[in-house]
Amino acid sequence: MMSLTSQPLPFPALHGRAGFSGFPSPAQDYEHRTLDLNVRLIKNPTQTFYLTARGDSMEGWGIFDGDLLVVDRSVQPRLGHILVAMFNEEVLIKRYALHHGAPHLCSSHPHYPPLPLDDTECQLWGVVRAVVHEYLP
Amino acid sequence: MIGLVDANNFYVSCERVFSPALEGKAVGVMSNNDGCVIARSAEMKALEIPMGTPAFQLEGLRRRGAIHLVSSNYELYGDMSARLAQLLRDACPKVAPYSIDEMFIYLDGLGTTKCLAIGAALRRRIRRHLGLPVCVGLAPTHTLAKLANHVAKKQPHYQGVCLLSENSSATTALLKQLPVSDVWGIGKRLANQLAINGIHTAWDLRKCDHKRLRQQFSVVLARTALELRGTPCLQMNALEQPRQRIMTSRSFGKATGIKAELYGALQCHAQRSAEKLRQQRSLTRAVLLFLSTNRHRKDQPQYFPRAMVPLPTPSDDTRIILAAVREGLEQIYRPHHHFIKAGVMLVDLVDTQQQQLSLLQRPAKTHPHLMETVDAINQRMGQGTIHFGMTDAQAPWQLRCAHRSKRYTTRWDELMEAGTHPGAIQAFTSPP
Repeated sequence: MMSLTSQPLPFPALHGRAGFSGFPSPAQDYEHRTLDLNVRLIKNPTQTFYLTARGDSMEGWGIFDGDLLVVDRSVQPRLGHILVAMFNEEVLIKRYALHHGAPHLCSSHPHYPPLPLDDTECQLWGVVRAVVHEYLP
Repeated sequence: MIGLVDANNFYVSCERVFSPALEGKAVGVMSNNDGCVIARSAEMKALEIPMGTPAFQLEGLRRRGAIHLVSSNYELYGDMSARLAQLLRDACPKVAPYSIDEMFIYLDGLGTTKCLAIGAALRRRIRRHLGLPVCVGLAPTHTLAKLANHVAKKQPHYQGVCLLSENSSATTALLKQLPVSDVWGIGKRLANQLAINGIHTAWDLRKCDHKRLRQQFSVVLARTALELRGTPCLQMNALEQPRQRIMTSRSFGKATGIKAELYGALQCHAQRSAEKLRQQRSLTRAVLLFLSTNRHRKDQPQYFPRAMVPLPTPSDDTRIILAAVREGLEQIYRPHHHFIKAGVMLVDLVDTQQQQLSLLQRPAKTHPHLMETVDAINQRMGQGTIHFGMTDAQAPWQLRCAHRSKRYTTRWDELMEAGTHPGAIQAFTSPP
């Protein structure tokens, strides 16, 4: 299993030297400064979990069947966030939004009406920080 | 002040994070090879199903849906344990993991109120951020912190956080009714000896003259008595005494990124650990190995991988442990990193005598005489006179784990799924 705190660079650093003259490469000071997608998508590695999305009713918000969800459990949910929550023993992805002035869990599909939060038992699992949609296998 | 953060029914709680439907139900985790129950939820305890019950005896209850049994999923537990330790490190200046589900935190120079507030905040945060229920015991010494944790677990009105100061009336009352065998580090046999000497409760032990205890029993017991009075005298290295795990690790003379060299070092540590294991007559259920790069070399890529490899049956056989090490190294090795340290930890130990073999469990193929001979020669002729170079690459490494949950945090193809609407997971999962 991977260590959670360290996020190794995605590929080995280049040890560049300019020719055989022995002069150090001007790029040497910038080694290891390559961009790391982990740093961009994962703000709290200890509290971040990956999930797979199943279903088509969140496509309107850019979540497709099979997409990878980056879920951060340390984020306090706010209106507009996309949440992973337990609803009647099922783990669901929904948008936390107002519907007729009251907080609901909404999908982007007309078949699935917003679920009111007041009179149902719903337990928050985490907040979706990012969605990864892969186009190539 | 010292705090002990202890996860409630840790293995079961890890399962529930990723299968929230198991919340509130009777859940048991089975040993490697699905032999017997090694962890139980509160509901399972309420059904009076004892620890160690062979799984086949529970098959009826399981089929009726009265209980849920899962195979142990050490990869998942190991990862959640690492997350717990990291969350504590982010919040406290000093943390010492003691076992897979118990971690000491050190809150030096803080008052009672502040410590209680920190304990409650940590408990809330661990529950929300990792999904794990924990209890926190706070006290001036390790031994009292362990007791405080016990109280926090058993007595609901503490709401999971209990602080015992050395001279409070609550501490006195607790120690007076607590059998001495419930004190950390005091086993049944020692408790019997103490009873002969009129020491029945923790309070009796605390009142004893520690010099007399040292003469009559041992330094360790004298320290325990002092710890009960609130005088800290256990250090973290001493804490490893009642060993729940065995660790051997060393820094390299020179950083290396070569796999064969790393395996060589790990091999050496594994053999040493296995020997310690046999000395204390224990068996291990799982092998954890780790590597680390140099934290201080900010210019180099950093990587601190760990791998937890469960064994088919609890074992003290060097060759089986070596095979596990090799498998673990394959999982975590990455080229182009300069490692400066490697280590092997044997976790989740059981007593050789206590090992329960269920009918379903294939007895471990051990060769006690071979191992004894190897240890004897090494003790006489020097460490490493006989060692294991190559091990059988074809070792039967298949675990029986018919009911193992997915390895949600360590395998890309085993992630938890979330549906976009009710029924979506079934509807969109292609049949195998």
